[in-house]
Amino acid sequence: MTLSLILQALQAGITNGFIYALVGMGLAVIFRGSRVINVMHGEFSVVGAMTTVLVLTAAKYPYWFAIIAGLLTGPAIGALIELTLVRPMIRQQATEDQFVLLTIGLERAIAASVLFFIGRDGHLLPAFGGDHVFIVFDVVIREHSLWLIAIAIIVVIALREFFRRTTLGLALTAASIDADGAATTGINVARMRTLTFVLGGLLGAIAGILITPLIAVDYTTGLPITLKGIAAAVLGGFTNPLGAVVGGLTLGIIESLVIVGVSSGYKDVLTFSILIAIMIFMPHGILGRGGRGGG
Amino acid sequence: MLEIHSLVSGYGALTVLHDVSLSIGDREAVAIVGANGAGKTTLVRTICGLLRARSGRVLKNGVDISQTPTHDMADHRIAVVLENRRLFGELTVRENLLLAERRGRGARKVFDWADIYALFPMIEERLETPVNLLSGGQQQMVAIARALLLQPNLLIMDEPSTGLAPKVVKDILNVIKELRGRGMALLLVEQNVGIASAITDRAYVLALGRIEHEIQPGAWDTFLKDERLVKAYLGS
Repeated sequence: MTLSLILQALQAGITNGFIYALVGMGLAVIFRGSRVINVMHGEFSVVGAMTTVLVLTAAKYPYWFAIIAGLLTGPAIGALIELTLVRPMIRQQATEDQFVLLTIGLERAIAASVLFFIGRDGHLLPAFGGDHVFIVFDVVIREHSLWLIAIAIIVVIALREFFRRTTLGLALTAASIDADGAATTGINVARMRTLTFVLGGLLGAIAGILITPLIAVDYTTGLPITLKGIAAAVLGGFTNPLGAVVGGLTLGIIESLVIVGVSSGYKDVLTFSILIAIMIFMPHGILGRGGRGGG
Repeated sequence: MLEIHSLVSGYGALTVLHDVSLSIGDREAVAIVGANGAGKTTLVRTICGLLRARSGRVLKNGVDISQTPTHDMADHRIAVVLENRRLFGELTVRENLLLAERRGRGARKVFDWADIYALFPMIEERLETPVNLLSGGQQQMVAIARALLLQPNLLIMDEPSTGLAPKVVKDILNVIKELRGRGMALLLVEQNVGIASAITDRAYVLALGRIEHEIQPGAWDTFLKDERLVKAYLGS
């Protein structure tokens, strides 16, 4: 294993890590705002990416327009799920396991719909910056990876500032800390919950559109994305959206080092073994419990 | 100001409040006293919409608010300080207050930040402190301040003295008296009749979800001296 191989792996790990971070942040935002573990989260990424593909290739609109169309599917689906399914279930005092069943069902249903309407084929999006690559210390870096990392960092900072500095972000945090306290402070708690699904859906769609130039998207892509995102979120403490960034990067880097150091066949076995070990020794996530972190 | 007619409320199959009627006049301070489990907190939660009444009506200045969601109570100039304060612990004092101030904006402004600092000097010093680092008494003050920034003319408080040191309780009572001086109507739910009698004009005694007794203006002393009554209704 040479140094440049390790650097190459780190580069790939950081790129993937930011995708896991975006997915994990979305999961954490939704979990914190509604206590729903959103198993269909990866489908936000799949539908966002697939919509972008279709608007670009079938409808022949410009790339930027296709991206906006793809991005909008996340918030739209998120709002639809919250308003039509989650809200009535909350009214009937559904328990956390019932919400997990709901989102597992949605996950399967959306994956099946993608198979039915779009088919089995994988689809790629054009890379941002084309196929241009940089070579630094013998490490090949695709320009798209740099765009991906830069955009992800901007999203992370924007989310952090949204939660810390805007009254809407504060209201979202307040509603997740104490629903009754928020309601008596004049905050519409149900609307805040819808908003967490809108925000989570947007983060999922962003992740899907950013990764699809690197990895083809098809109807099976959603669940693995969710699993990596859950791992990232749990590593970060789950109720802290910014923790998911640390979790996602940790996951991505471990995974890529396992691929070069051992074998890609053992990637998931070793990666998740390490994650389990981390969770045993740090049960509240890498950042620990407490502190306001993301909000 | 506030009229409650034949309110019935409860949780699931359990009916807690049976046919509760009461009223509060303008600028009046009224207490609801009763033993643990009498239904005091259920009454507060039903009035402010956290719990839907099974039947009966709640009128604020003649407007039926029994279907009004809790977050719109500020539109009717009602603010409530729930039991255990229910602040946003990880957020700072300033952020907790900001959320209420934002909601109270547009309403006729009675309390601004300067009023809050005058009532609670400690708040100005601790603005950037996360609320969960404050003492219980300081948290109670932040909770009252948060309610005031919703610009109410009726303040509902559920057990504001629970768990606080006597000195702190005295500070809070002084603030409530000051608010009364400014014309605030008050509905105080309190297990401690000593505190209730110190700041309210009259009271309703709640027992097993029913109004069993009314303490008229000027009749607090007679009630407190009647050990039989106190024991029967308050269990102490």
